[in-house]
Amino acid sequence: MSEAAAADRVSARPGVQPGTATKYVFVDSPELTAADLALRGYEIAPGVQIKETCFGLMITGPEADVERLVDELRLLDPDRIFVKDRGFPPGDERRCRANLGGARPGFYGHENEMRLVRYISSGLRALRDPKKADLLRAKPRSPDEPLSVERLNTIIQES
Amino acid sequence: MSAPVRIALLACGAEYSGVMPEIYEAARQVEAEVFYPDVTLADVRAAGRGFGLDVHSADLKLMIARAEALVEGRTEADAVFIATCFRCAEAAIVRNELRRYIHEGSRLPVVSYSFTERTTAGTLLTRMEALVTIARRRALLARERQEGITLGLDSGSATTKAIIMKDNEVIGTGWRPTTQVQQSADDVIALALEESGIRRSEIEATGVTGYGRFLLGNSIGADLIQEELTVNSKGAVYLADRQHGFATVIDIGGMDNKAITVQDGIPGVFTMGGICAGASGRFLEMTAKRLGVDITELGPLAMKGMGQNVPMNSYCIVFGTQSLVNALAAGNTPEDVAAAACHSVAEQVYEQQLQEVDIREPVIMVGGTSLITGLVHAMGELLQTEVVVPRHSQFIGAVGSALLASGFIRKG
Amino acid sequence: MAKVFIYPGTSLILSDLVSRFGHRPLGSALSVREKVQTAGLDSPPLQITPEDPKKGLRFAAVEVPSGVRGRMSLHGPQIEEAEAGIIILDADLAFGCMGCARTNELVRFLLHQRDIPILELTYPRSDEEGIRFVAAIRDFLSALAGGAAA
Repeated sequence: MSEAAAADRVSARPGVQPGTATKYVFVDSPELTAADLALRGYEIAPGVQIKETCFGLMITGPEADVERLVDELRLLDPDRIFVKDRGFPPGDERRCRANLGGARPGFYGHENEMRLVRYISSGLRALRDPKKADLLRAKPRSPDEPLSVERLNTIIQES
Repeated sequence: MSAPVRIALLACGAEYSGVMPEIYEAARQVEAEVFYPDVTLADVRAAGRGFGLDVHSADLKLMIARAEALVEGRTEADAVFIATCFRCAEAAIVRNELRRYIHEGSRLPVVSYSFTERTTAGTLLTRMEALVTIARRRALLARERQEGITLGLDSGSATTKAIIMKDNEVIGTGWRPTTQVQQSADDVIALALEESGIRRSEIEATGVTGYGRFLLGNSIGADLIQEELTVNSKGAVYLADRQHGFATVIDIGGMDNKAITVQDGIPGVFTMGGICAGASGRFLEMTAKRLGVDITELGPLAMKGMGQNVPMNSYCIVFGTQSLVNALAAGNTPEDVAAAACHSVAEQVYEQQLQEVDIREPVIMVGGTSLITGLVHAMGELLQTEVVVPRHSQFIGAVGSALLASGFIRKG
Repeated sequence: MAKVFIYPGTSLILSDLVSRFGHRPLGSALSVREKVQTAGLDSPPLQITPEDPKKGLRFAAVEVPSGVRGRMSLHGPQIEEAEAGIIILDADLAFGCMGCARTNELVRFLLHQRDIPILELTYPRSDEEGIRFVAAIRDFLSALAGGAAA
């Protein structure tokens, strides 16, 4: 394929033009599903492309529009919605599971962190909770710190 | 059109080395499809514990989990291609252990390769083609007897060989250094026809292998165009009469070397090329030239010498030749120098390539270099086994082609 | 708004917290997006070509495997650009861009070579650890110039 043809092919794909961005909006909430998020997303910003995915949504469009939409969506459940950039637009054949035969490597990383986001949600809630002031001042767990009973339990459950 | 052969890719670093397009292209050229075996995060987490190799790199853990999915039959595949970065120790350990694990735990053909950013589709093509041949042509590879009158042609980088077989016997041979691919082929075919007393029109089927296989295959209308890994394996066990059970085939060629673990005539694990010219037949040719003897005399000369007396172990043909010159200047005998050159080539193939396959006895050496007795002796010493060199071993690719081509004779 | 290198670069949690608290996370997605959006490249899947491991020579010598150098061509410029860094020490299940332990060792080393504020912590495995984790990141980020966290 010539360079020009390759360039045309690349630029024809949605979401690969410079100035556009794709973001993941993941949700870990008993009260809010990815479908709810998508519905709300289309109400707020009809111009962007929204795709449901395993843990939430992928939103693609001009960077500023995507940013604005993401900020709005976060308000639906600020402590339990998590946002991250994505390099590829949704469904890109280079990264699509259907073409690779198996999940792309990033999927496993998400799966791993999505098991932990509930603790982040607790942390975010605690920022507004005066009763947690002592904990908020405590240092984060260092790798050398002895395991708490709670942590030990989690590790046992995980393995 | 038949369904594409599905090659499971177990790789680390390929996407970041810029070689994925080359892997895809090599697969496309042989009508294969490369895919990642699907696993879950739980599989990956369990992989370190289950397999027992606790590596640090997450992508290597993923490779292990994917290999387990293949061996345990959770994912269907026709063949496996293992690829990791050249010079990565952690990946080399995983690559070797997985290759062994898959070979022992499944019937899937495996090839492993360590790439750099310079690896091209051309380099990978023969390996991919061999995987596809093994997956698609098991019935053809099961052939144990040559039938009818067939011509086998091997267009190698250094020499071109032709063989004519009739009713399971070699009746004509031709051998020439490769100059122009087509002309050299025409010459060796003419030689083989003359020796056999057969007319060209009497040939019922033709098979071609070697570097020039595509060009010649098309120009002479060959029935079989097949890479040299499967053809040479088949030819080796056929000539050595070891068609059943395990064997290891070693072919030190002019440009690249092949090491193949064979089971019932079908390659299970193989490696190809990968080292510098200091470990090639070409180096032995240069040695012979420098010693002022014909290449055919190098082996007997080496057998009379003591290789240990001369330091020589360069991977590079230029530095290897320098060692040779220094050794002669220091007063070493041509016999010792010849023995040292043979030992150097054998040792490098042993260290670099034979570690990538499972050595199963008998070890069969084939190709032109198998006639250099000093080299065969050095290899036998390193492997602590008696190496088998069958008759006509220098014509291995041509014999394999002639044998397999008889599967294309139209009965009638 | 400070540019904060996140490690693992693929981390959802770090990417979210850094931007939530008003800073710009420098993660793998941005480097990959730049590649994906570069016209004229056709080197699937990541648009990394054999030229990229060569660019990685700026961060790792030629005897370092190509996969490390290719990854460094993504991470290296971001490390140079970073004004702060947050490192998760037990990120052993981060794949792809962060899937090579040798690259990750080098990334962490180079980050420490820079004279910038760095926070190192481990993933939370309980609510209490989650609270300490989020608070530490919030405090770290609020001490950086131009953040929205308070």
